[in-house]
Amino acid sequence: MMIDNPYLPVKTEVLDVIEESSTIKTFRLKPESFLHFKAGQFVEMSIPGKGEAPFTPSSSPYEKDKLEITIMKAGRITSMIHSLKKGDVVGLRGPYGKEYPLSEFEGKEILLVGGGVGLAPLRALFLALVHDIEKYKNVLFCCGSRTPADIIYKDCVLDKWQNLDKKRIKLRITVDRKDDSWKGNVGLVTTTIDMLDINLKNSVSIVCGPPIMMKFATFKLLEVGYRPDQIYLSMEKNMSCGVGKCGHCRLGSFYACKDGPVFRYDKISHIHEIWD
Amino acid sequence: MDLYFINKPNLDRLVKSLSKTYKIFAPVKADNKKFYGEIGENGLGDSVIGEIRAVEPIKSFYFPARTKIAEYFSTKGSDKKEKPIAIIGAKSCDLASFKVMDYVYAQEPFCDPFYISKREEGLIISSDCTCYGETCFCVAIGIMPYPTENFDINLSELDGGYVAESGSLKGEKIIKEYFKLFQVTELHIEKKDSNRKKLKDDLLEHVKKSNLPPKDSVQAAFKSKFDSNLWEEVAKTCVECGACNMICPACHCFILMDQKNENSFERLKMWDSCLLMSFARVAGGANPRKLLAQRMRNRFDKKFNFFPDTIGRFGCTGCGRCTEACPGKIDIREVLSKLQ
Repeated sequence: MMIDNPYLPVKTEVLDVIEESSTIKTFRLKPESFLHFKAGQFVEMSIPGKGEAPFTPSSSPYEKDKLEITIMKAGRITSMIHSLKKGDVVGLRGPYGKEYPLSEFEGKEILLVGGGVGLAPLRALFLALVHDIEKYKNVLFCCGSRTPADIIYKDCVLDKWQNLDKKRIKLRITVDRKDDSWKGNVGLVTTTIDMLDINLKNSVSIVCGPPIMMKFATFKLLEVGYRPDQIYLSMEKNMSCGVGKCGHCRLGSFYACKDGPVFRYDKISHIHEIWD
Repeated sequence: MDLYFINKPNLDRLVKSLSKTYKIFAPVKADNKKFYGEIGENGLGDSVIGEIRAVEPIKSFYFPARTKIAEYFSTKGSDKKEKPIAIIGAKSCDLASFKVMDYVYAQEPFCDPFYISKREEGLIISSDCTCYGETCFCVAIGIMPYPTENFDINLSELDGGYVAESGSLKGEKIIKEYFKLFQVTELHIEKKDSNRKKLKDDLLEHVKKSNLPPKDSVQAAFKSKFDSNLWEEVAKTCVECGACNMICPACHCFILMDQKNENSFERLKMWDSCLLMSFARVAGGANPRKLLAQRMRNRFDKKFNFFPDTIGRFGCTGCGRCTEACPGKIDIREVLSKLQ
């Protein structure tokens, strides 16, 4: 019996490139055979002959045939990805890892806390929640960015998503530093967690962002009364193979690629080095 | 289980015959050390069945240091059908590493087809150690200096030949097929057992000098030293060459690398080392193990904490290769002794 080759990428066309900020772009992609991902799962995206890196899709998992990946220019591979144009060919493999456990969120008040490019996985989650919004009590999406120019998905977070279902869906947008045009909140994303109109007993919170932001957002959530088992984190680790073999993304007795990247905080809070 | 005796000329005949089906490797001496060399139609030649393990680990055959695993967007497998591999003279410390490799590479839902096909098609004719090396300490962590698992046929060297024991259906089939080369024996069993006992006792005596913690207390001892300055101390002479990882039969980590090859793009799977700075680093520079001491601790964490939790075994087989390979003279036994 021939086992499928888990290291072989699927040929994928770049349909569009959307500039989100000076360092972040969203790539709209069409793989030859679709990768049916669930919100929170990740894929490996490659430049043929150059290398690959892991990303969590940011589009709705309900969208068929196409997916979007939002990528910050941060290293060798992401710099090459940033120079891609419409019509270019890349590789994709996946989806891998554990998704956000949506069934555990049903009937609950859901708090999403995202920072910078960490909004990407949360966007896929948010769209999945919105798709079945009647299953959830309500959703509060707290988005933090460094400056107004760094806000990604501007047309969504500043406009479209504000008017989805005003009773059930609320957004809190904040920037660390404002400019002259900014009329909204100023402060770190943790400040948006200060005054919550949420019944904490029936709530879950989901955090994604740069390591330092994840750390302080988690501590803030604990401080306002969330229990560790009510906090979900998307852990960014060096995931090379994506299938639990290459050893790079080990986190205590887990591999981020197969046991995560979504972890409930109480399962990993004892592990050293999780915030680094 | 029936035991058989096969004399040296007959083993030579068996090897010659098996070489039609298998690409055969056995330890061959060079510079007073043993390295695996290809043997075949010419029989055993000057290969060494007894003594101790070869310099390189057996993983090299099942999970080569550098191997092509994909060509961009081509779903066709390789047309080249290579002969499966047979290893003769593999030792217990190498066979024990299959527990780790099998767990990693055959684990659902994504199995590694390259490793699995080599394992399934391959043949292992192992052998007892007939002496021990200075750095050997397998018995201290529960592994015997003679194979107890993961072999198709095992050979215990005696005067003039070997006691052969089958360890799998594949091994049994070979013995049946070449029955004329073997003789049923009871005569040699006592000698085999006394040889094994003597070597085990000698080795137990040898490892006493290293003052190793009892095997059942190693994991707890590691945990108790997690936050100590032991790791800085151990890392002092480490030059981050990664030799300990490469030479370890149980180190399984690899990295995927892409490269252009004439008209195609190919993907390689290459051994990687957790002692290298880049191992856990992510884009943007965040690195959970920036310090060498953290990476050194991670190496022991994986071997003596992670694997006991996940497969109930150490990710170390006591072969002592890392100690031999280390230019910084880091002795794994010394590190283990300092855990207590």
